[in-house]
Amino acid sequence: MKLLPILAATALTTTPAFAEETRQLDAHEHGVGQLDIAFAGQKIAMSLRAPGADIVGFEYAATRAEDRAAVDAAVAALAGPLDLFMVPDAAGCSVVQASAELESEDDHDDQDHDEHAHDDHAEEAHEDHDEHAHDEHADKASHTEFHAEYVLTCADPSAVTELTFAYFDRFPNAQEVEVQLISDTGATAFEVERDAPTLDLRGMF
Amino acid sequence: MILRLAFGSLIARSLTVCMTILAIALSVALFLGVEKVRTGAKASFADTISGTDLIVGARSGSVQLLLYSVFRIGNATNNMTWESYQDIADRPEVDWIVPISLGDSHRQFRVMGTTQAFFERYKYRSGQSLALRDGALMDDLFDTVIGADVAATLGYDIEDPIVVAHGLASFTEHEDQPFQVSGILEKTGTPVDRTVIVSLEAIEAIHVDWQSGAQIPGQSTPADVLRQMELQPQAITAALVGVKGRLQVFGLQRSINEYPQEPLLAILPGVALQELWQIVGIAETALIGVSAMVIITALIGMMATIFSSLNERRREMAIFRAMGARPRVILGLLVLEAVIMAALGAVLGLGLLYVGLFIGQPLIDSAFGLWLPIEPPSLRELWVLLGVVAAGAIVSMIPALRAYRMSLADGMMVRI
Repeated sequence: MKLLPILAATALTTTPAFAEETRQLDAHEHGVGQLDIAFAGQKIAMSLRAPGADIVGFEYAATRAEDRAAVDAAVAALAGPLDLFMVPDAAGCSVVQASAELESEDDHDDQDHDEHAHDDHAEEAHEDHDEHAHDEHADKASHTEFHAEYVLTCADPSAVTELTFAYFDRFPNAQEVEVQLISDTGATAFEVERDAPTLDLRGMF
Repeated sequence: MILRLAFGSLIARSLTVCMTILAIALSVALFLGVEKVRTGAKASFADTISGTDLIVGARSGSVQLLLYSVFRIGNATNNMTWESYQDIADRPEVDWIVPISLGDSHRQFRVMGTTQAFFERYKYRSGQSLALRDGALMDDLFDTVIGADVAATLGYDIEDPIVVAHGLASFTEHEDQPFQVSGILEKTGTPVDRTVIVSLEAIEAIHVDWQSGAQIPGQSTPADVLRQMELQPQAITAALVGVKGRLQVFGLQRSINEYPQEPLLAILPGVALQELWQIVGIAETALIGVSAMVIITALIGMMATIFSSLNERRREMAIFRAMGARPRVILGLLVLEAVIMAALGAVLGLGLLYVGLFIGQPLIDSAFGLWLPIEPPSLRELWVLLGVVAAGAIVSMIPALRAYRMSLADGMMVRI
């Protein structure tokens, strides 16, 4: 219908299909994943969210065979938490539950989006803001995120003095993981970067 | 023997030596003081809220929400609707939830509307609960519980009346609905000390006759009528949430952050504080750097005085050497003198710090709400002191080596 140059300039992407309702976008920064870790008794719950660009290097819908293979391989890799976030052997941890999936922004409720720290899609996303055209270019403009949920159980959780992020070796596009952590001593946050891929957890117990 | 010589020589030059020691002492006190304020501020912030898993408010920044809702610092966040609050309260993961409503004030103190559950659930300093020093919790609509600082500063006692001002500007007051002090809390060292706590319904009640921020002229609903009214708040500022299991905290946080009907934000207090420390970290480093430079400056000043004293002491050194003292002894004597000065400076600096803390503690507490504990020096501080002494010894090596080389020839030569 018409161009929306102002919106394009502010780098907002994808209008939800039901634009009359609420419009919210998720935070999405390529290179940065989020990992939430909760320690409770012998259980450790982790939840990872990482942009598709970090994990497979693209965020369009995988239609070609090789793209689909890449997504499948990534989901399989993400389902093995102890190979990505290595805990010391002394802790005796094992995986109770692990699931990973690829979620595109169009999959979930259209309201679920947050602000966007991401510029380069602005133009292509705003070629056309017509609601009729929306469905056709939805996959082109959307961002995808990999979500993974893990529950570990450890014989001696206090031996988890550090986490080694082999995650960065497995996924070369990932640069940083923002970690939120809760344990008996309260909640805190860390940033783990590719250059220093270990998280020191001494003092968390 | 050499120690006695060193002391003797320091006493002989007592004025310059005292000045040097004072300079070192002040620099050490400054350095330790910066450390104290830094760690004290962190501890005081971290101690203010404990036991709360999530703070929920309108979407803003996590630091802003934390500072405003807990510390009453910074810009006000938007309000969140009562419907959203109830939606969250009804979620199965939620163990308890306490609403907070800010916005009005009494003299220089904030008025906070909340429920009785606040007194049960709000915890500070690793799990300590609020305790009443006097009186009882709010019972009537117009009862208030006040913090220790409010009572002390304004001289309030149980059953004193309080008139709440609208907003932070004291020129519009809710004069028609005076409150009564029903309880006074124990001192906590947290912003609660400087808060007037009323019930959430009371916040609504005093605004019944108000519209668009001003009182409707001539309209004043009597207190008894207000007591009968259904006072359902429309909006609150934030809510403190306790989650049933720690494993559910992140799930609840995410679903609140993605709550479709209203842009909300749920934060973990510890994580938000961590973010705050990251922001102020640069300033902290700068402060520590500057105060370390001050110590270095003082030590260089000491080196300069030793250098200039060498000139006066040419004869003295020559006589020591002529009497059979080895050059090593001259070196040792000068280094020892420097070490004594640095050590006295360090100890005096520590003393100055404690005097300063003793005087400054109540002032800082009332001005910034920051309680700096007076504790014996930490291991880290002792290392700093030791470092100063060691640095003093190293710095004095330069003039001492000069004296070592020159002592005999220099002192024996006749200078005209």
